[in-house]
Amino acid sequence: MARRKKRKVKKEDENSGSSISDGDGIIVLKDLTKKFSDNVVLDNISLTVEKGKTTVIIGPSGCGKTVLIKHLILLLRPSSGEVYFKGRRIDNMNEIELNKIRIRFGFLFQGGALFDSLSVADNITFPIRQHFKIKHWNQYDELVKNKLSMVGLEGFQSFYPSNLSGGQRKRVALARAIALNPEVILYDEPTTGLDPIRSDVINELILKLQRELGVTSVVVTHDMTSAYKIADRIIMLHNGKIIADGDDKHIRNHPHPVVQQFIHGQVNEDDLAVLRASGTIFQTQFLPDDFEE
Amino acid sequence: MIELVGAKAVVVAGNAGRFGRFVWQTMIASARSCARTRTYPLIWAQMNIIGVRSVPIIMITGAFVGMILAVQAYDQLASMGLEERLGVLINISVVKELGPVLAAVMLAGRVGGALTAELGTMNVTEQIDAVRSMGTDPIRYLVAPRVIACLMLTPALIIYGDLLGILGGYFVGVIQFKINSWAYWSFSAAGVELWDVAVGVIKGFFFGAAIAVISCYKGFTCREGAHGVGQACTEAFVASFISILALDYALAVVFKAIYSTFWPIRSLV
Repeated sequence: MARRKKRKVKKEDENSGSSISDGDGIIVLKDLTKKFSDNVVLDNISLTVEKGKTTVIIGPSGCGKTVLIKHLILLLRPSSGEVYFKGRRIDNMNEIELNKIRIRFGFLFQGGALFDSLSVADNITFPIRQHFKIKHWNQYDELVKNKLSMVGLEGFQSFYPSNLSGGQRKRVALARAIALNPEVILYDEPTTGLDPIRSDVINELILKLQRELGVTSVVVTHDMTSAYKIADRIIMLHNGKIIADGDDKHIRNHPHPVVQQFIHGQVNEDDLAVLRASGTIFQTQFLPDDFEE
Repeated sequence: MIELVGAKAVVVAGNAGRFGRFVWQTMIASARSCARTRTYPLIWAQMNIIGVRSVPIIMITGAFVGMILAVQAYDQLASMGLEERLGVLINISVVKELGPVLAAVMLAGRVGGALTAELGTMNVTEQIDAVRSMGTDPIRYLVAPRVIACLMLTPALIIYGDLLGILGGYFVGVIQFKINSWAYWSFSAAGVELWDVAVGVIKGFFFGAAIAVISCYKGFTCREGAHGVGQACTEAFVASFISILALDYALAVVFKAIYSTFWPIRSLV
């Protein structure tokens, strides 16, 4: 009997790939590398996301933040390296197995990624209708009402995404992301394109969700005000590598010049020199006199 | 030079492999969707968009094809005293070849372009990623209903096109050129067999599947931005058009072989 049990455990291990201790963190990346042709976007990244905490990933545009967050639920497959969720390796799973893992995540996309052809209510109930059967329609109504009230958009059920402002779309997308009561919420640039007040509304929502639902959050942003407000831990990416990792105090005092330039929003001397060498705008402008008839 | 050809061959093989995998996944997802009643509303919605809204354009195309054939062929047949056989020529051309091919080309433009643009926009605005992130297979949710709707409704639309083509030919032949109505229909009935109609309708299944799969694939793989979506739509139409012609040739060979195996050759004149 014991031998059969042992064999069963061994078979499960083979099926699911190797595993690691759950105490290591809810999501673990090990030596993750991602290449697009010859372009290395993520270079040997190892990272542990702690349960119940908000981890913020910062970095300049194009440094691979979105690519990194998409690897956490395997929307992109790594070129090499391993991804673990709750101690279980998931990067070697097929799409059917992954779909069972993905419903434990919520993902807020940069532009919201709401389905244009569906109303707000249908967008929010989409993941539920895909995976669960609800006996009565009023249960859907209740759920939509509840999720919309959490993001402060009561009464918007029948609206379509095209009728919503940028901030409202993000809030509806957030309502959809929490529809399945996920354990982890991934936010891809949640405040980009919003005015400071709307950005703060989104920040407060992220904090509220963590407080009330106890979820683990991973936020990708280059908005430092937002990062300082919501982060338990900040990680900075540069040229596909992690160059800084710690709490906000650690990041503020980090000795790396790129970190200081980024958090203070300063252009570096080399870029300034290139700008100065290119001459004044007046000199490079084509004026009507430059053209012959 | 050899390096360049080799690199190109690798790219072509890679694309063919990706398309082959997409077709395979679509086939499996479509078969499963047919068995799941939960996906029927999605299929129904696509049938309305793809089928019902295409009826007018297909009928107009069919009618003009029949009328043009009548105008072009009448003089030649009349010079031999065979004008009463105009109906056979028009009707067999419409139901067997021109009706299905031109209806499919119109669908490739109207439906194929719309499918690529819709899925391409969903792709560049991360809506397809959103479907995946919520644990749903985008091929099952987005592609299978469109393919099933196209597969089921292209033959039906071809029948509409054929019907209007026949009426268009009748209008020009009998009303305009004053051919005897009874002779027109009796020669048509003797010349056009159920087999000819069936060939045209069966072609519709293949054309519909090709249009839907190619258009959805192009939408799923389109590059970012308005230019990427526009380019994907163009590529989808060109690829669908060539596929329709290639399939038409292959099916003509196959059906001819089947017919000649079971029945003797028949003369239309």
